[in-house]
Amino acid sequence: MKDAPPIIEFVEIHKDYVTEAVVVRALRGVNLTIRRGEFVAIIGQSGSGKSTMMNIIGCLDRPTRGKYILDGIDVGSRSNDARAIVRNHLIGFVFQGFNLLPRTTALENVELPLVYRGVAAAERRKRALASLSAVGLGARLHHTPNQLSGGQQQRVAIARALVTQPPLLLADEPTGNLDTRTSYEVLDLLQRLNREQGITIVLVTHERDIADCAGRVIEMRDGSVRRDIVNERPTDAGRALAELPVQDEHGAAS
Amino acid sequence: MIGLSRIFSAIAIALRAVLRNKLRAALTVLGITIGIAAVVTMTALGDGARSKINGQITNLGSNALIVFPQSARASGARTTGGSKLSESDCQALERESTSIKAAVPFLRASAQVVYEGQNAKVEVIGSRIAYLQVRNWNLQSGEPWTTSAENVSEKIAVIGAGTAKELFGKADPVGRWIRIGRHPYRVLGVLEEKGPSPFGRSQDDVVIMPITTMRSHVRFTRPGETDAIMMSATSPETTDRAKKQAEEILRQRHHIREGEEDDFLIRSQAEFQQMQDNIYGVLSLLLVGIAAVSLVVGGIGVMNIMLVSVTERTREIGIRMAIGAREMDILVQFLVESLVLATLGGVVGTTIGYAAIVGLGAALDLPMKLAPQALAVALGTSTAIGLVFGFFPARRAARMDPVQALGRE
Repeated sequence: MKDAPPIIEFVEIHKDYVTEAVVVRALRGVNLTIRRGEFVAIIGQSGSGKSTMMNIIGCLDRPTRGKYILDGIDVGSRSNDARAIVRNHLIGFVFQGFNLLPRTTALENVELPLVYRGVAAAERRKRALASLSAVGLGARLHHTPNQLSGGQQQRVAIARALVTQPPLLLADEPTGNLDTRTSYEVLDLLQRLNREQGITIVLVTHERDIADCAGRVIEMRDGSVRRDIVNERPTDAGRALAELPVQDEHGAAS
Repeated sequence: MIGLSRIFSAIAIALRAVLRNKLRAALTVLGITIGIAAVVTMTALGDGARSKINGQITNLGSNALIVFPQSARASGARTTGGSKLSESDCQALERESTSIKAAVPFLRASAQVVYEGQNAKVEVIGSRIAYLQVRNWNLQSGEPWTTSAENVSEKIAVIGAGTAKELFGKADPVGRWIRIGRHPYRVLGVLEEKGPSPFGRSQDDVVIMPITTMRSHVRFTRPGETDAIMMSATSPETTDRAKKQAEEILRQRHHIREGEEDDFLIRSQAEFQQMQDNIYGVLSLLLVGIAAVSLVVGGIGVMNIMLVSVTERTREIGIRMAIGAREMDILVQFLVESLVLATLGGVVGTTIGYAAIVGLGAALDLPMKLAPQALAVALGTSTAIGLVFGFFPARRAARMDPVQALGRE
């Protein structure tokens, strides 16, 4: 993995928020390299700058200063539309609140990134179905988010993130709204995606045991990287799942 | 640019968003619906009324001219009772003008006409028999009177279809005697039905008799005097020349000096038609104005609800942006949505307007129809409203910051 090409390169990244004469320095010169195939957890308390970092990595926000190179492209200075295309092609997002479109079926939610890529309807459907079955959701395709359990919704969100086959998956507190069992199921899925398909995963969390599932843990504090350590023995989420006491997923009916 | 398939997707997304909130959509487009329905109905109503009136004016004879007396102005003040038109003016006009086919005198009075206990209120017209040709009126039964009957003030009359129906019902009036005042008159003929005049008066409730008869028994005037002169030009094309010639002849006969004002007024049927058209032009403009106001109000309604919709769906916009929607994608999505809304309003409005046209046409007996131009204008207008008033909300949506839209601050 040390020899893999870098996918994320931060060079002296600063991010200042200016609010009514008060300047909040959310990031204070972050230098960082994440290589293809890594599973990285970014950990820190609220206000540590990890969300800001996530926004910049995800091309949702621009750094105030510094250089951000994503998969060889200097994206920090690109136009809004160019960054939209970068998001569509290089990044899959998984959010804490799932962020599925309401009143829209699972299948249609997964198809959406392909709509913005201009993929024809039949091809969209085919790829969305494949992506959904890859995350273990072969049924309930025509259910809307409010008819799905939290775990199922997050699987739909992951399927949506993966349907464009991006090299990078950004997961922002993906287990924040899930119980322990479902959390480990989602983590197991992410680990397998990372292991089997080589997708780079950057996971933001404030929970230590979630971060322990990653092969590298970056700890943020006050807008700087405080620690950046390789986790030699990441938790195997699949095994952790097996060790949990047997219980029913509440409200689920799969 | 955006491909065709993305446009179709945008339309599908917009339709679904609209259908999700049917009541709100219906209320939103109410203004546009009313505006378009009003435009469609009013246009058809105006056109129908105009075409009916035009038909009536052609009935009058498009080459007809009317001379009215007009008191001349002397040193700024109108002198009273100055001018009079006379039968000899008529004869002079017929004799001296090359473009006037006939010129007849015209006396009128309101009177009660009686037949065996049946009463009818009619307009009595005294003229010469050529009056029927000038007005382009035909007899449906009986025959006209002769010039010799005019000379001896024979008590004879031609009656309108309305009068005939009122007095005689289904019986044939020809040869029977009607009474006006103390005098009986023999009915010679019945006119064809003409319907109301452009000015609303019935043209069928009339009794026409020789002017000499009228002068001796119904309305007593000085010999030769007439209320007006009805003329017909030799053809519709010569009405202008006929008017000029009549002016010259009458000025000469009335001894009006150079630079003095006429003591008469000549109006052609074409001028009456022109006046009608002007009135309808102003009316149409007024209707268009009202429609425009209601459409602007409708447009603002669409804009308002689109702004609400954009705000409500901020997170959705954020999600779409995160997974790769460009500004243009979001702009098109919301623009298509307001377009769909407005066009829906236009279609519903047109349908309501069409129903109103059918109903009103039957109720008012007007030849009303949905003009293709009106349809095109109605739908074009509603589409334009959707575009114009939808643009600002759509642009606001497209320019959202994804971080803020996702609520990630």
